[in-house]
Amino acid sequence: MDTQAEIAAPKMSGGLDPSISRDVADAVRDTIYRATILLDSQEWNEWLDLCDESFSYDIKSWSPEINYDMTYLHASRKDMDALIRLLPKHNTDHSPLTRHTSVYTVDVSDNGETASAVSAFIVFQHLLDGTNSHIDSGESRLFLVGKYFDTFKMVGGRALFTSRIARLENRRLDKGSHWPI
Amino acid sequence: MPARNHKQWMAAPNLKDGEWIDSRVYTDQAIFDEELEKIFKSAWIPVCHESELPKAYDFRTTSIANEPVIVCRGPDNEVRAFLNVCPHRGMLIERRPSGSFYEGQPSGNPKRMTCMFHAWQFDMKGNCVYISREKEGYQDRLPKENVGLRRLRCEVKFGGFVWVNLNDNPVDLEEWAGKPFECLRKTLDAEPMEVFHYHKAIVNTNYKLWHDTNCEFYHDFMHYHNRVTGFNDAYFARKNESFEHGHIVVGTFEVNYDQYEGFESRAGLSFPHLPPNQWYMIDLFPGMNFNLRGSALRCDVVTPLGPDKVMIEFRGLGLKRDTPEERQTRINHHNSIWGPFGRNLHEDLIGVQGQGTTMRPGSESRRVLHGRQENQTIHDENGMRHYYAEWGKWMNRLPSDPEAPFTEPAAVAAE
Repeated sequence: MDTQAEIAAPKMSGGLDPSISRDVADAVRDTIYRATILLDSQEWNEWLDLCDESFSYDIKSWSPEINYDMTYLHASRKDMDALIRLLPKHNTDHSPLTRHTSVYTVDVSDNGETASAVSAFIVFQHLLDGTNSHIDSGESRLFLVGKYFDTFKMVGGRALFTSRIARLENRRLDKGSHWPI
Repeated sequence: MPARNHKQWMAAPNLKDGEWIDSRVYTDQAIFDEELEKIFKSAWIPVCHESELPKAYDFRTTSIANEPVIVCRGPDNEVRAFLNVCPHRGMLIERRPSGSFYEGQPSGNPKRMTCMFHAWQFDMKGNCVYISREKEGYQDRLPKENVGLRRLRCEVKFGGFVWVNLNDNPVDLEEWAGKPFECLRKTLDAEPMEVFHYHKAIVNTNYKLWHDTNCEFYHDFMHYHNRVTGFNDAYFARKNESFEHGHIVVGTFEVNYDQYEGFESRAGLSFPHLPPNQWYMIDLFPGMNFNLRGSALRCDVVTPLGPDKVMIEFRGLGLKRDTPEERQTRINHHNSIWGPFGRNLHEDLIGVQGQGTTMRPGSESRRVLHGRQENQTIHDENGMRHYYAEWGKWMNRLPSDPEAPFTEPAAVAAE
């Protein structure tokens, strides 16, 4: 899969003041890392506050088994809001997830109003109640590996997500998860 | 009754034969090994869908009962299956999950299955067509004609699924599954379908516990989604219909998807010859499930890995002719419920893993109840009773006392 094609990098001519470009890139990194912390602490609504009204969220993976680019989850901001609100009504594996994110690239558009970023992530699952808690709780397992392909728009000096594609490398997902990645 | 002591706990429940089973059928290694030999090596397994190998020389690899299997499409467009084992020294011939033999490989020529180890080559019909240094090594003692691949029974049927059987003389596939598929045959065979979703789960539970979950709907209490979209008079009136060979079918009703916040009605997209928002379920012995929810078809296939370990492959399918918008809609509808990040599948897998936690090799045997009688409607457990009666026949073991030979339970016979 051509992952670079995942997001359309903002068109750049090099005309933007480098200091503004740096500020935008810093804001983008700040938003990505802040999102990581909020997701880890399951502050879902605070995470959504980092997302623009136009936000779309996808979890995708290329399958060499069926030769198909799969979408495991597709949701608008409104969909994510409903999904989060209904979490307490569902039976869920409550084993906490922690994400380790590294921002690889940030590309800022010519006018400094939008940006895109590519980050690597790994997600660990810290077992609690999903299996046999007497034996397994406290164990940490690698849960997911992939890359985030994010786009942003600048609002009042903050970078807000306009889209996030979490592209997974692993397709053996066992019990899966109800939670945003 | 208050909580019970050990003797009371271990006592046979006050239910009829066939309405409970012994948990050793889920935990015993010898029974598991026997199941692979007696059941999985003679049952028809839908190993993949024809859309996974659309062109000549495409292949897909899989396994049944510990035996590696390769399925390939020949230049004559026929799909054939073989053991994925080189007859020379037992090397796995193809290691990739899927691909094409149209291009050459480092050890072999185009349009050939080549064993990378010593470069023996086979055509798409399983004929051995090349042995490296054949004359020098074997003279005339072992001609190519005598070392073809092991061919397996293979048919493309019931909506384009590729069915493989390790037994050379199995029950005819139509006879095996034709009747349960009758409810969806016109729909599934109307036009070509295509797989759009695949993922797998390996969970610590017995494969039958997964199939049990697909065979009973009483567990809908676990699913908030199903309670709010489905619990109505039509839902409770659905029948669990039993078919020969241990299969069951659960009839359709109209699901109110828009009752779940954030979901929309799925009436806009369906399958040929099917009214919108319908839901059919076909469960095939010993562990395959076909589940059609309005706009998407799901297929589960189990690969038992041990008494307390199973791999489940999940596929989602739509119509090959879908527009991009239709396909995306089917994908969303499929995955919002059945995907690895969907609402129901996660709950199902937690449920069966919880059962697997209490029923591990070495756990004391206990009684597992299958005794709900509700006129064979949706929360009746007749589907499981029917399944275990079939299991008992194949294994010649009594599910309620697996050390005893099978006898037909009267309660099941009545169903």
